[in-house]
Amino acid sequence: MSVDTARRSRAPRTGMVGSSQGGRWWLYGLLTVALIAVVAPFAWMVLGSFKGEGELRQVPPTWLPESASLDNYTQLFDKLNFGQFFTNSIVVAVVVTAGNLIFCSMLGYALAMLDFKGKKLIFTAVMTTLMIPGVVTFVPLFVLVANAGLIDTLPGLFLPFLVSPFGVFLMRQDILGLPKDLLDAGRVDGAGELRIFWKIILPLCGPALATLGILTFLGSWNNFLWPLVVAQSEERYTLPVALALYSTGQNSTNYGLLLAGATVVIVPILVVFLVFQRRFIEGIATTGLK
Amino acid sequence: MRRTTAITVACMTATALTVTACGREADNGGSGAAQTGAAVSSGKATGEITVWAMGAEGDNLPKLTKEFEAANPGVKVKVTAIPWDAAHDKFTTAITAGKTPDVAMVGTTWMGEFAASDALDPTPAQVDKSAFFEGAQKTTEVNGTSFGIPWYVETRVLYYRSDLAKKAGYDAAPTDPQGLKDMAKAMQTKAGAKWGIGLQAGGEGSWQTLMPFAWSDGADLTKDGGKAYNFDSPEILKATKYYQSFFTDGISNKSAPATPTTEPDFAKGTVPMFISGPWMMSAVEKVGGAGFKDKYNVAPIPAGSAGSSSFVGGSNFVVFKNTKNRDTAWKFVNWLADPKVQSKWYTISTDLPSVKSAWQDPALASDKKLAVFGKQLETAKAPPSFPTWEQAIKGLDTELEKITKTGADPAAGLKTAQQQAESIGTGA
Amino acid sequence: MTAQTGTTGSVTGPVTPAAATASGGPDDRSPRGAGPGVSGGRVGSARRRQGRAAWILAIPFCLLFLAFTAWPVIQSLFMSITDTKARDLRKPFSVNIIGLDNFTKALSDPTFRKAAANTAYFVLVGMPLTLVLALTAAVALDKGITRFRAVFRLGFYMPVITSIVAVAVVWRFLLQEPGGLINTFLGWFGITGPNWLGDPNWSMPALIMMAAWRNFGTAMIIFLAGLQAVPAELHEAGAIDGASAWQRFRHVTLPLLRPTMLFVMVTTSIGYLQVFEEPFVMTKGGPLNSTMTVSYYTYQQFGFGNYALASAMSYIIFVVIAVVTALQFRLLRERT
Repeated sequence: MSVDTARRSRAPRTGMVGSSQGGRWWLYGLLTVALIAVVAPFAWMVLGSFKGEGELRQVPPTWLPESASLDNYTQLFDKLNFGQFFTNSIVVAVVVTAGNLIFCSMLGYALAMLDFKGKKLIFTAVMTTLMIPGVVTFVPLFVLVANAGLIDTLPGLFLPFLVSPFGVFLMRQDILGLPKDLLDAGRVDGAGELRIFWKIILPLCGPALATLGILTFLGSWNNFLWPLVVAQSEERYTLPVALALYSTGQNSTNYGLLLAGATVVIVPILVVFLVFQRRFIEGIATTGLK
Repeated sequence: MRRTTAITVACMTATALTVTACGREADNGGSGAAQTGAAVSSGKATGEITVWAMGAEGDNLPKLTKEFEAANPGVKVKVTAIPWDAAHDKFTTAITAGKTPDVAMVGTTWMGEFAASDALDPTPAQVDKSAFFEGAQKTTEVNGTSFGIPWYVETRVLYYRSDLAKKAGYDAAPTDPQGLKDMAKAMQTKAGAKWGIGLQAGGEGSWQTLMPFAWSDGADLTKDGGKAYNFDSPEILKATKYYQSFFTDGISNKSAPATPTTEPDFAKGTVPMFISGPWMMSAVEKVGGAGFKDKYNVAPIPAGSAGSSSFVGGSNFVVFKNTKNRDTAWKFVNWLADPKVQSKWYTISTDLPSVKSAWQDPALASDKKLAVFGKQLETAKAPPSFPTWEQAIKGLDTELEKITKTGADPAAGLKTAQQQAESIGTGA
Repeated sequence: MTAQTGTTGSVTGPVTPAAATASGGPDDRSPRGAGPGVSGGRVGSARRRQGRAAWILAIPFCLLFLAFTAWPVIQSLFMSITDTKARDLRKPFSVNIIGLDNFTKALSDPTFRKAAANTAYFVLVGMPLTLVLALTAAVALDKGITRFRAVFRLGFYMPVITSIVAVAVVWRFLLQEPGGLINTFLGWFGITGPNWLGDPNWSMPALIMMAAWRNFGTAMIIFLAGLQAVPAELHEAGAIDGASAWQRFRHVTLPLLRPTMLFVMVTTSIGYLQVFEEPFVMTKGGPLNSTMTVSYYTYQQFGFGNYALASAMSYIIFVVIAVVTALQFRLLRERT
């Protein structure tokens, strides 16, 4: 029995085989300690956003704020035209995510299931792009986008990222795990190739699509350098750029604003993650196993 | 088969054509005699200009530009604030793609690089260069040509805990290098400090703490009339030996981590002396709490054989060559240099004015600590504005790290740094 | 690792190595035929039909790829064989072609070599550490406990999405000497901890710890999924045969985890070979270049305007990544 069949027809988890449940309290304890250690910086970040600048620079760092205040947040929302930057970030992230979900699955399907000339060439191109450090193509890409007149536009912010090689790869791996018989059944029924893709294959890719969606959204949301250089006017700034505006200085950093900003930025990611968590885990399972 | 051959031939042809098409032009025009910008018309400013400014300055600038717009009805000044983080990258990419604004605030250490890219417009003669602090004005000069104006400045002075100094037996700050060392040592023995003075043990930017001592001895970072680097000069060697002695004598911490903990150390008295710029005043006061203002003081860098000197930094305001509204751009920049506007800017931002006469404004003149900075600015010096400065000085920072942390020989280290700098060249 | 509030980062923005690439090389699929039972002429037209459909599906990627990836890559490859500096970018052809000079210059640069050694150290120690932590956590969550799984899962994933700035502040405190938590903890056992970030011998171990902590969550989640796919029946069969938990782990679980292991190893190594954020935020490559990595050094060269040299360095990194990836595929090939 192959592993993927097992994956597709999920057996219910019945817990450990042949061990007692009660004696595991020590494991829970250990894990809890580990959890606290791991989550600590995140907790510090959130707590720190309520502290004053002087307290933030103290060594050793304090945990609970000496006098908690919302000053950092009021300053942030006061100065920042928050709605605008948030909208820009959301629009770009959603478009990039949607684009990736559609185009990557299209090509992933073609690479996994169809036979055509140039298949190997395209796949090699995908793999190669994956391994090239992004920093080296940055400036040529910018000049290209500038010459295309896309500077300071929303398309300039999202076009270069509409389909990513990683996404293609992920979808290819997932679709590889589907039985070929589905295709043949579809063809026998007289469906065209594209219809097979749309109606038969794609619905089975739920988990992988959720995975791709979360990772793409995360990457786009946190992207800093590209929006920074592409935007000429503040109206086009995304959230990370705007936040950096108020927290980093020529010689010093405004930690309070920085932490408040970091906390604010993380909220949509957490929401997306929590909503898709279940499908996300399933999704990694289907692709990682190949 | 035939297809592959055809493709191969095509690729080889393309490569051959590209290779023959490449090559540098015989002479890069631009280097030569110092240039002055063409004169700017008189009368009111018109039209629209775009301005880039970083961080808090970018945030506060619109408050100032409102007055310019009021004085020149019809003109529009559009300010875009950009973060300091990665601002340099934003400028270099914009210059590459020809997408620069009309006017921008630029860090003093970036001038050489931008001027070499032929992106900046030389300053017209109408701008009075003598109104600025000499060191600050020099930060705008590349190969003798001035680009833009110094907008605001900062310099480095000695910070010390006056209350702990009293314990150590000192009523006033030291006025010579040996005195500084003695006082720092006394802080350790008599005032309970762990380290007498916080000096950066090499690494990024440490030259800004080393050079004040060297400059106070009359050092020059260039030689041959400003045409080459001069890292292994006798004055810099003397200053480096002096700097190293703080570490070998246990007065400064050679193992301090890369991200400094200056403010808490200063407030606690663990490290009661350090050298830094004006922004640290509010930083230490925030950590020190109420009343800390009276527990510390600032003093000029101890005078060497050439008096007391320090590093001058800050930001300049430049006009880009491909501006669409040159007249208004320069009018705006020149307006920023007006002493009244400079004082106004100080009250808005607490950035120190680059124009000497602006310091007579009561807001500045009455603050004793600020007055120390003002005096230091008169003799502060700027590094050379070569395009390769950042890379060359990094070599010195690295050698300084070896010298302070491992006790390496200063002469050998400086020689290495000089050789590296020579192989990089000035790029001018 | 993906940049978060950091200054540089994967400009290929969204999805880049960290929880990145899946396994499966180009040679693990045999060419597709037209399906069973179709003969002769039908094969030809079926292939043509597939071919047409495939190209329609591939067009968006191909267009975007050619425009936004292929062209910049070609341009940067071209740059790497010239003497391009920042100011030449406006006239990209007014440069001298100097062949492989940049590559030899990079390879003979002592700092680049040190950075390469540091990066190798980082990967060779950091990767096993991260994977062991991840696998242990995954096994504990999968088999050890039954309740609060989701809480632990999310919690262990937190470092992956927390801002590097907050992470850096807390870690600096942890590593402080004296008084930092780690050294205090060691002190309970009578060990005097070193000055982690200030000592050239201990700075890299400190960064390795931090990187492992930051990234094990991603690997853990992938392992969890892999573990969950191991059929429970196999474990039961093993238990009935009298195998202990450890033996079951070694002979049942691990072999079935092989593909997952490959996936995680490849993605983690691609990310770790390009380690940048940790040294950038914590130590700036110091002390005494003990934490300088190849990516950081390349970034510096870009900052100095030495575009040609930096491009050459980037492609050297790429070659190493490709070789390491290929090696791992070899080692962990499915043995069916």
